[in-house]
Amino acid sequence: MNKSPVRILYLDDEEQNLIAFHALFRRDYEVFTTTSATEAVQILNQCEIHIIFSDQKMPDLSGVEFFEMIVTDFPEPIRILLTGYADIEAVIDAINKGQVYRYLTKPWIENELRITIEDAYEVLQTRRQVNDKQQALEKAYSELEKFVYSASHDLRAPLVSIKGILKLSKLENDPAKHTEYFNMIEQSVQKLDSFVQNIIHYYQNGKKEEILTAINFSQLADDVFATLAHYDGAERINLRKEIEPQTPFMADELRLRIVLNNLVSNALKFQNPKDEDSFVLLSIHNTVEKAVIKVADNGIGISPDDLPHVFDMFYRTSQKNIGTGIGLYIVKEAVEKLGGKITVTSDLDNGTCFLLEIPNKS
Amino acid sequence: MIVREHLNILLVDDNDIDIAVNTKLLKLADLTDHIFSFSSCRLFLKYITDNADGLRTKTNLILLDIMMPGMYGFECLNEFAKMPDDLTSSFHIFMLSSSIDRNDIKRAEQSKQVLKVLEKPLDVYHLKRLIEEISIQ
Repeated sequence: MNKSPVRILYLDDEEQNLIAFHALFRRDYEVFTTTSATEAVQILNQCEIHIIFSDQKMPDLSGVEFFEMIVTDFPEPIRILLTGYADIEAVIDAINKGQVYRYLTKPWIENELRITIEDAYEVLQTRRQVNDKQQALEKAYSELEKFVYSASHDLRAPLVSIKGILKLSKLENDPAKHTEYFNMIEQSVQKLDSFVQNIIHYYQNGKKEEILTAINFSQLADDVFATLAHYDGAERINLRKEIEPQTPFMADELRLRIVLNNLVSNALKFQNPKDEDSFVLLSIHNTVEKAVIKVADNGIGISPDDLPHVFDMFYRTSQKNIGTGIGLYIVKEAVEKLGGKITVTSDLDNGTCFLLEIPNKS
Repeated sequence: MIVREHLNILLVDDNDIDIAVNTKLLKLADLTDHIFSFSSCRLFLKYITDNADGLRTKTNLILLDIMMPGMYGFECLNEFAKMPDDLTSSFHIFMLSSSIDRNDIKRAEQSKQVLKVLEKPLDVYHLKRLIEEISIQ
């Protein structure tokens, strides 16, 4: 039989009990024994214990007192009290103060102990699963709340702008002004459209299974540049790619596309309109282990105050009002799903550089 | 009664389209000739610090957008509240919102400085009536 990963701590003032317990279970579990409560706490601090047995009747402090003492700092291990005589007070205390899982009488029956250990470990596992699920739920819930709040604003804001423009155009007698209003409506529509697209990307990234395909980086870069060519002012920006394909590369193409599309479109959006030589550089080098991707621009940059928050959900930097605050959040999530890393450096007014490392899954 | 010449309207909104629309609507409603707009709270706060003496003697109406990047509308209010009382007392604040989030509206209504939350797009005739109410008080 393989040794199970269960770690048991047994505290008892009678050395023979400890020796007997150790002899019984050392082959099946990892067993720690001690006669001192102080040492028991030390053991709890040093390694992750799953189940704690304690004798009730000890000279310095009772088993219930011991459990009561450690329950705040070590709430997770399952606590089991052992006692030589049936003492109803001790049982009540054990349940109320020491929050024990079970109460066993001495002398113990081996089989009963074994079943108790197995049951206790199962309870621990179930509690952990419930805890993990609850944490995941809490995260999802708080994200959803943020999402609904921001979505209700970001989806509605462009529509509200359009409503305002329409209201104004009704009051306007000068037909020449109407072209101006149409342009304003167009801007709002574009903003709304890109927000909707981002939401779709966000859900695709969250839900879809990873599909590995061979990546042709050069083709991918061309595609990304082509889809962004319609961007306002894209024609005056010098799009450069530096790609050195060296070894076959496997990754999830959809997520890689989402990442590159977002980073390159950001680089286009946050250009310095006065700059004559605006550029966006996409450079990709790959090895057997990973691809190193750089997306750099000489745009308006990100201020040091904003830089630590750019990957936060719905965080918008203060320089320009065109962001929706979700693009880089999606990038970060997608990079995590790709198993990679992303970092950003920026110099306000001079440009931004995103550096990615994506593992090769071939 | 607020004298037209003594009324300033200060718009604070990061959305340049909304600024342009609201400025034009306010002009058409002919409330005042003194309309100022700021694309960020920082610029707005800087302006009132730099022009405190001139502003003190006027009636100043602020239309502040709740959702702005960098510094949200409420943070802007907190910063504003730190200014001297004799200056802030000449200001009347309306908050603008394009979302109809109840929490935002509640929070704004609970704030002592905010007179009312107005939904975007701005209804200038409604605003006109509100200004008349201020001048009666």
